[in-house]
Amino acid sequence: MKKITMTLAGASGLLLLAAMSTQAQAAPSCGLNNGQAATGEPIKVGAIVGETGPDDFSSAADSAAAYFACVNANGGINGRPIEYIVEDDQWNPEVAVQVGTKLVRDDQVVALVGSGSFVEMSMNAKLYEADGVMSMASACAVSECFESRNIVSTNEGPLPSSVGAAQWAVANLGSQNVVCIGINIPSVGQYSCGWTEKYMTSKGLTGSSILLDLAAVDLNAAVLQAVASGADTVLVNLPAALAAGFLKTVEEQGLKENFKWISSTPLYDADIPGLLGPGWVDVMHVNIELTPIDGTGEDAVNWRAIMDAYAKPEDPRDTFSQSGYLSAKFFVEAMLELDPAAIDRATVTAAIKGIANKTSDLLCGPYYVGDAPTHMPNHANMMVKVVADGFEVVGECTDVDSAYLEPVRAAEQALGIGG
Amino acid sequence: MSAPAPAPAMSASRPTPQLRWQSALPVVAIAAVAFVVPALASSLWLKVLTSVAIYALAVASIALLYRRLGLVSLAQIALMGFGGWVTLRLSYAWGMPFEVNMLAGGVLTACVGIVLAYPALRMRGLYLALVTLMAAGGFSILVNVIQFPNGGPGFTGFIVQSVGSMPRPALGQSDGAFFSYCVIVVALGFLLIHLHERGSPGRAWAFIRRSEAAAMSAGVNVTFYKIWGFALSGFLAGIAGGLLAGNLQHLDARSFPAAESVMLFALTIVGGAWGWLGAVIAAVLYRLLPAFLNDIGVSGNVAYIIFGVALMHAMATAPRGLAGQIEGAWKAIRNRGQS
Amino acid sequence: MSAYGLFLVSGLAVGALYALGGVGLVVLNRATGFLNFAHGAIGAMGAMTAWQMAAWAMPEPVVWGAAIGIGALLSLLFGRFVAPGLAHREPVVKAVATLGFAIALLGVMNLLWVTTPRRLSFTLDGLFITLGGIRITGTRMLAFGGGLAVVAGVTILLVTTRVGLMMRSLADNRPVAALLGTPVLRVETLAWGLSGALAGFTGLMFGGLVQLDPTLLTFMVIPVIAAAIVARLSSISVTFAAGLLIGVTESMLALYPPLAPFRSAAPFAVAIIALMWLQRGRRLTFAGED
Repeated sequence: MKKITMTLAGASGLLLLAAMSTQAQAAPSCGLNNGQAATGEPIKVGAIVGETGPDDFSSAADSAAAYFACVNANGGINGRPIEYIVEDDQWNPEVAVQVGTKLVRDDQVVALVGSGSFVEMSMNAKLYEADGVMSMASACAVSECFESRNIVSTNEGPLPSSVGAAQWAVANLGSQNVVCIGINIPSVGQYSCGWTEKYMTSKGLTGSSILLDLAAVDLNAAVLQAVASGADTVLVNLPAALAAGFLKTVEEQGLKENFKWISSTPLYDADIPGLLGPGWVDVMHVNIELTPIDGTGEDAVNWRAIMDAYAKPEDPRDTFSQSGYLSAKFFVEAMLELDPAAIDRATVTAAIKGIANKTSDLLCGPYYVGDAPTHMPNHANMMVKVVADGFEVVGECTDVDSAYLEPVRAAEQALGIGG
Repeated sequence: MSAPAPAPAMSASRPTPQLRWQSALPVVAIAAVAFVVPALASSLWLKVLTSVAIYALAVASIALLYRRLGLVSLAQIALMGFGGWVTLRLSYAWGMPFEVNMLAGGVLTACVGIVLAYPALRMRGLYLALVTLMAAGGFSILVNVIQFPNGGPGFTGFIVQSVGSMPRPALGQSDGAFFSYCVIVVALGFLLIHLHERGSPGRAWAFIRRSEAAAMSAGVNVTFYKIWGFALSGFLAGIAGGLLAGNLQHLDARSFPAAESVMLFALTIVGGAWGWLGAVIAAVLYRLLPAFLNDIGVSGNVAYIIFGVALMHAMATAPRGLAGQIEGAWKAIRNRGQS
Repeated sequence: MSAYGLFLVSGLAVGALYALGGVGLVVLNRATGFLNFAHGAIGAMGAMTAWQMAAWAMPEPVVWGAAIGIGALLSLLFGRFVAPGLAHREPVVKAVATLGFAIALLGVMNLLWVTTPRRLSFTLDGLFITLGGIRITGTRMLAFGGGLAVVAGVTILLVTTRVGLMMRSLADNRPVAALLGTPVLRVETLAWGLSGALAGFTGLMFGGLVQLDPTLLTFMVIPVIAAAIVARLSSISVTFAAGLLIGVTESMLALYPPLAPFRSAAPFAVAIIALMWLQRGRRLTFAGED
């Protein structure tokens, strides 16, 4: 667990702020923006991240922590600072249950903000529902995260990312037959590749899936299967390291030119263009969950400013980081509307559920929560392509056209959200 | 030369007060742990201690095979997974009480244990251990394909949907009550092992371990008792798996890789395979120590390093495990007090 | 070429990796009696060090040398400082102690190298031959050829040289061999060093041909053990053949839809079936502590 006491961070943030105010730079903007350190009774907020293990999903909590530090240095929640408690679930379901119970029952947090994990959501969904606490997550990768009453995420997960990529390919590359290469975890691979197949069928086209084991040694066979499927487009829906291995095998076999190439969001990583090499420039198109990292909108600039002012230099500035910033921002805005003397779990849960029609240049559509058994506010996305030193936008915000989203759209209509 | 003191009157038929006190002590201690701890522990530590209790039973099942038959099973986590699978499947299928599902899980896992006994009749030592490791590896792939039941249809009972939740036993609904429930079930499991060891199976196992040839010539049915040992070990692992399913109310297929079974065996040796204390120590090392390190903020990777080095050290220096060292120290203190 | 032929050749290419790993395990077991669960971790350490050298723009021979050197070094450290304390324990305990080493190494690797996608590239990746419709790159041929060379070389070493004889006698009965004047420390050091170098090379091959990920490479040792099991931890050439068989089985199962999702279990299935077949009809009559 990283117990981050905000008072210390807030003080150092103040100093930084003072130093920065002499420079002509966009100053971070958060909370009440009054430059006063919050000194009231702390409000406990938690987060669970998968840090130690096959991958590191903690960048969302890092940026949320930076945002909360900024808020605490700028008047807090109407005078009350946020005490942010981040726990590591070590990618272990039992540990996820243990730290979830600790946060909800021992620490009595009023909400969880900025969680990012592969295992935590499915293990703790029932706990959150039973104890009436909301989790405004930021880095969700499994279906259970989007199909739970008390969990809502700012990122969109594998399904919209995969379907969005296929949708763009059909519209822009003329794809007729997409093969989706996913991992054989049902709540990830079958979930996203399955609905991509359904999308293709709904358009009168063909879709198929090849599911790999995460620890697969034999990537050759998957490549051969992709060839055998008769597809004209390959949708790479794998974690970045496995995707890189798969694409290397494709290059090895000289099969890159035989297909059109699209990918879901894991390949949107600063290291990937260099890793894949020049052979994939203008060839690989990647779907992204939020707007580009180098965006110029108000929130994009503010996010980077807050990271520079309050986060550590080694904290990644990636999509999950943007997502964590947004979760923290929407949370704080909801909290500021509450009476500071009456902030407890019940009022906070009600406030979070009342979040509606929040827009940001980091998102393609409005963010909202509501009281529903499923939540997927972020379901529109953009496409980029790999270029020599990064990525270039090739597709603007497009809503994902999948039957999976029907209950989501019904909920949006009921809440009167956007068009 | 003084005459030896006359022998005391034959009162061995009536248990002395000291003996009665000694046999009541474990019962009192178990009751104390089962009912006092939930009142004192925070939610986090209650969950961790429940885990410790469950894995103590799994460790005991490994230790049973190791110390009684000299056989190594590197598949116990997989057997727990199997027991958990059966418990979950029966719970969703027919909604019978938790105890029935758990016992059924135990019995079916005992059958799997019997299947593992057949290689044991043909090979020993490292080969047998490696065969069980291969079985564990196969199970981890199998369970990742068919997944744990979550209320879906068909034989596998799985469907891609929002999370399922198996109900806990009637007597163990809350975390505290479930902890007490687990402690009692685990204590019963230890009692079962104890009764076996005191009875004819224990004698047969000791004989087989010493020399199979001699056991056979003395008329001991070696095959039968080996199979019985595996069956009991499998039964206990299956029960532990059922308890695990009840604890988390939902099992994740990625929690049962082959490496965990090897780790559990390693800790069984570190804790000491020769008694209940060793089993508890092993379970504490497996679940409580990592939770403690995580709680105080030690990075998981640093914890790995500490663990690995400690494991190497323990293997090299403590043949009877930590429990053996503790008992040795305890005996040394008592002897010094007496002399 | 038919689909079967394609997947067969592909399977041989993958099987070469299992074979190479298995041979390294068996070599060490024959010489020291240790089944090294840390084989994968040592290889991973070698692969990550090689990647680091490449990231620092070192020439390729340095990259290769780093992997093999680190592998040998780590193995030697374990063999010199930890293994002697375990020499008198039973084989299972020895194997479990190497697990401790594996876990410690994994922790070190994750601390040294932040989790992020990485890639190992060799100049040999660019060279290839086409065999029946599928390309075999130079790196894969090196893995295969390297495995064959190791089998030949080690067999010659163990069978014809004096050092090899000493290794075998040590593994057979350490106390008696020591009594007979075998320079125990020197021979074991050589065995550990050789095995470590092999582990480094294997790690490099896995890292280049599968995924460069410390956790994955560390636990890859378990399927690799399957190849060694088929050879009953003693015959190096059988290990090599078993590794190829496992690779082919795993690859060909992709063509059979009912079993295709389970094909990652091919190593385990092959090991169990092979071992049960080889042990059929044997009854353990005189087993025991004696």
